[in-house]
Amino acid sequence: MRKHFGWRVRIPVALLVVAVGLTIATTGFGKSTSSPKASAAAGLGCGAGTGQKATGTPITLGAIVTKQPGTDFTDITNMAGDYFNCVNDNGGINGHPIQYTVLDEQTNPSQVAADAKQLIETDHVMGIAGNTSIIDCAVNSAYYAAQHYYLIESGIAEQCYAGSNEAPVNMGPRYSADGATQTAILEGAKKIAFDQSNVPGTGYNLGGSKLIAAAHHIPITFLTENAASINGETAAEKEVQAAGTGGAVVLVFTPPVALQILQGAQKLGLENKVIWTCATPCNTDFLATALGAAWNHKLFVNAEMSDLHDDNGPDAVLFAKVLKLYGSNVAGGAGSFSQFGFTVGQLAVKALLSIKGGVYNVQTVNAAFKALKGFKTDMLCKPWYYGPLPNNTDWTVWPVNGTMQLVPKTGGCMAISAVDPEVAKVRAYEKAHGV
Amino acid sequence: MPSWSSFQPFIPIGLAAGGVYALSGVGMVVLYRATGVLNLAFGAVGAMGALIAWSMINTWHVPGGIAYATCVLFGGVATLLYGMVFGRLLAARDPLVKAAATLGLALLLLGVMNRLWPAQVTRSISLPTDSSGFNVGSVSVVWTQVIAVGFGIVMTIGTAVFLRVTKIGTAMRALADDREITATLGVPVRRVEAAAWFGSGLLSGAAGLLLADLVTLASDALTFIVIFTLSAALIARLRSLAVTFVASIVIGLVDNLIAPITSITNFRDMTPFVLAVAALLFFARGRQYSFARGGIR
Repeated sequence: MRKHFGWRVRIPVALLVVAVGLTIATTGFGKSTSSPKASAAAGLGCGAGTGQKATGTPITLGAIVTKQPGTDFTDITNMAGDYFNCVNDNGGINGHPIQYTVLDEQTNPSQVAADAKQLIETDHVMGIAGNTSIIDCAVNSAYYAAQHYYLIESGIAEQCYAGSNEAPVNMGPRYSADGATQTAILEGAKKIAFDQSNVPGTGYNLGGSKLIAAAHHIPITFLTENAASINGETAAEKEVQAAGTGGAVVLVFTPPVALQILQGAQKLGLENKVIWTCATPCNTDFLATALGAAWNHKLFVNAEMSDLHDDNGPDAVLFAKVLKLYGSNVAGGAGSFSQFGFTVGQLAVKALLSIKGGVYNVQTVNAAFKALKGFKTDMLCKPWYYGPLPNNTDWTVWPVNGTMQLVPKTGGCMAISAVDPEVAKVRAYEKAHGV
Repeated sequence: MPSWSSFQPFIPIGLAAGGVYALSGVGMVVLYRATGVLNLAFGAVGAMGALIAWSMINTWHVPGGIAYATCVLFGGVATLLYGMVFGRLLAARDPLVKAAATLGLALLLLGVMNRLWPAQVTRSISLPTDSSGFNVGSVSVVWTQVIAVGFGIVMTIGTAVFLRVTKIGTAMRALADDREITATLGVPVRRVEAAAWFGSGLLSGAAGLLLADLVTLASDALTFIVIFTLSAALIARLRSLAVTFVASIVIGLVDNLIAPITSITNFRDMTPFVLAVAALLFFARGRQYSFARGGIR
């Protein structure tokens, strides 16, 4: 018997369909594929810089990125994709456009494992560039090695800095926090409160700072926050109390969360109570602008990439142009995250352009990635090479009237302390390999 | 254990948070009593209102007062619209179905917010009252914190009086007791329910604005802050406004007073759950618990 549904059923069903459609339209299903963008990109200097749109068979690259409440790294992959689009509008890789597939994840190991398999076995990407995931390295490092993939990425977890198949453009939270801790000590901190998000890997992140503080006989307290529901005032008061008089606070958070804490500190009049330092994500003009003049010269930020106020080199100039022309999807604008993505893009393109004979496949692309060395950019202190921690020297910046600027008294690049045994190992590796 | 002076700065922060949880809790309980709907989208509606206000101020350069009023009004209108469409259609369904439907609204709004206001951008709302305050001993108190507590108290008392002395308030209380009998007595059920949806929505907008200032302006955080409110409402067994207020203040205070205790500070997120479970177990001693309207019997 045929059943007739009345308006009481039809209307909700129709509204539900509309709602589901809207949700899909607004959030997507976690997969986005960049498409070439026609624009006036000629002369920008991306890739070959021909000004001609690449129309050949695509070279496929992929990435996995964390996107969840409180932790969103998609500015990195978005900026890498924007650079690839600029390259595609400038002749591509010998006429071949780069097709970039990005999958987002929510710190779910089975999802991350499935994402890696999808990229390699379903999408058949030739290379992986720009991975920025809290757990990808821990979950997939062995798989990438078994598949003979050599990644260029933005590292977070310990395994990103330990394997032979991963090469990050950044230091990651541990070594950047090392730098922030070093600065706190240089500024005369008597005690340190180290605060970070309670996501996987917190023990690894604080390891270097613990050793550096111990080497200087300075007590250090470790705190964590639920970044998705943080109360800035509570966190700030807690940190200041833990740091005590003459102490310092080291913040290891994404910019929005760091901003909540710093604004909470300002409301409670705590900005002058301790020395405030922050790991590299705070190196963004968005943060400096939002904080305002009250924080001028009061927040020391470890900057893994150059500060764009002082860097007028060709890479910083190109970065700014690409961001302006293609970067509407980079929500955080200019900052360390978008600089990571841009540099990942530059490295991948340099590797692809080095492939002789016009054969682009998994073998040639990964061999080219692995062979990268001596890559110079004004956005890094030292030339980059394919290795576990090529970026281990950086700057310190602070907010000045809405922009992040180099702290003059630091005098430029600062080497991350080799008291951290992982850094010591890297320095030994660099010496042995002449890089 | 930290000294008493270490706890003192957290008292105004906790009271302010508790005041806003109370504001939300009152809205949630009133709506539940009048319509039988446990509105899990309370936080999401407030979050969207606050983000709209942020855009009005920062993108369209609208004066703050108008933007804040829009935030509160958005809460009322959005909640009323949902109530008029889905509230009616689901009126005869089980309370669990009604609550799940509001969760759908919350997730839909969350998706829209994540699309329109991406999380990577640093945003904040700073009310004019943030920049001034006073000291109680060595503890600084910001006027926004005072407003949050005061607003919570005023709304709790005001709503209780409203429900007791006004015609529409009496009708809401009657609806809470028995919807069918109330309807047969000639009470305009739909109009009364609409008033409950709208009033509750206005409170969600106001709470969203205050939380955006006191806690954070992030869609995810504001959407799920409803957990604190829900705990307070459950402790009050979705009935008593006075108990909702007290429970909200206790949750806000305990959550913040744990902060300086280093050994347990990282477990603060458990506060609303632990307090709600403890209270429910206490109230449910020797009784039968039901999720349906009427609660514990």
